[in-house]
Amino acid sequence: MLNSFKFLKNYKDNLTLVICILLSFLLISQSNKESFNNFRLKSLDFFSFLYSPFNWIDNQSFLIKRLEVLSQENLKLNLELNLLKNQDIENARLRDFVQLKEKVSIDFIGADILSRGFSSNLSSVLVDRGSIDGVKVNFPVMSSKGIIGKVISVSDNVSEVQLISDVNFRMSVKILPDEVEGILRWVNDDYCEVFEVKRTSEVKIQDIVLSSNLSPFFPEDLPVGQVIGIYDSTDKTSKILRIKLFSDLTRINQVFIGLKNK
Amino acid sequence: MKDYVKYLIISILLQLLFSELISINGVQPNILLLFIIFSSLSISNATFSTLLGFSLGFVGELIFYSGTIFGISSLTFSVVGFFASKVSNNFVYRNFDFYWIIFSILGIFVFSFFKYEFYVFSNLKFILGPIYMTMYTIFVGLILVRLLSLKNEILNAQN
Repeated sequence: MLNSFKFLKNYKDNLTLVICILLSFLLISQSNKESFNNFRLKSLDFFSFLYSPFNWIDNQSFLIKRLEVLSQENLKLNLELNLLKNQDIENARLRDFVQLKEKVSIDFIGADILSRGFSSNLSSVLVDRGSIDGVKVNFPVMSSKGIIGKVISVSDNVSEVQLISDVNFRMSVKILPDEVEGILRWVNDDYCEVFEVKRTSEVKIQDIVLSSNLSPFFPEDLPVGQVIGIYDSTDKTSKILRIKLFSDLTRINQVFIGLKNK
Repeated sequence: MKDYVKYLIISILLQLLFSELISINGVQPNILLLFIIFSSLSISNATFSTLLGFSLGFVGELIFYSGTIFGISSLTFSVVGFFASKVSNNFVYRNFDFYWIIFSILGIFVFSFFKYEFYVFSNLKFILGPIYMTMYTIFVGLILVRLLSLKNEILNAQN
């Protein structure tokens, strides 16, 4: 008994470290469980008021600049909208003519980014919309320019969004105009790679990349980015495309959550 | 004790400031890691500093959004807290900057190793994120050390 006490006393520091490491691994292993994740998000939801002053400053400091950009975008979009309205009527008439199934439209809900994480290199963010607003896991998330990620966990008032820049993020995409399919993964900054692209497929620089209908979570035809490079894979069996995302992930303050996933 | 609470509050405010307003291309310094390193350098009781690291990591991830897997901060802070408290007063006096910089690198390495799930070693592109984060943390740390005279504060606390 005395020896045990002596042992504990002598190795108290090391034992504490081992116990803390084991407890941390236990937490890491539990972090994917839904109940555990809900508890964590509820706690973050409760303390989300801490971010308010910083978000307010952030919003104020970029307000004028953002207004300018939005005015320009608004004008450009108005012009495009007029053109698209005419094409939409024609498209609806032609789809009806060949009896194609009607496409599902998605409603978007705006959300502010509450936090980018205190130790993050931008792989996920916390936004101020939750299950009360109709948000569910795997809903797509966009900026005003294109897809930036998907919802991975939801509490009443906040949700966690996995960004494209997470190393584990994968997404099925297609490249216009030939609708060549591939799988997208992040590389660095605003650049991604599309792999598993057939070697025989015709892809050119500046082709547009959209979400594909093969994607289990994303509705098709949502903008993603543009092709800036085409390479052969190391085994020469397929092509790898380098693409630049439409959205600048480091400068997003507001996002839009698609309220209908597939 | 009063000083620890004071510096903890400063660290939390700085962490929020950097994560929400002063991140560079999404990269931000880990101020809470710096807090654990500096406070552990002043505590000779390794058990206490390990527990402090674990608790701060655990509570920190429940209060602040960490943007990564829950538990990584507890792991990182416990390991760094343990080793930082093992450095004796004499070594801190002579090589203060060397030690806290080494512990910052160790902390961010442990953190990134688990965050990127070994991608760091399979693809060199992923090592850039942790390197930028380390550089930014050290840069901010150097400013804080000079501005708050942290070396003297830590040596006084040790005595």
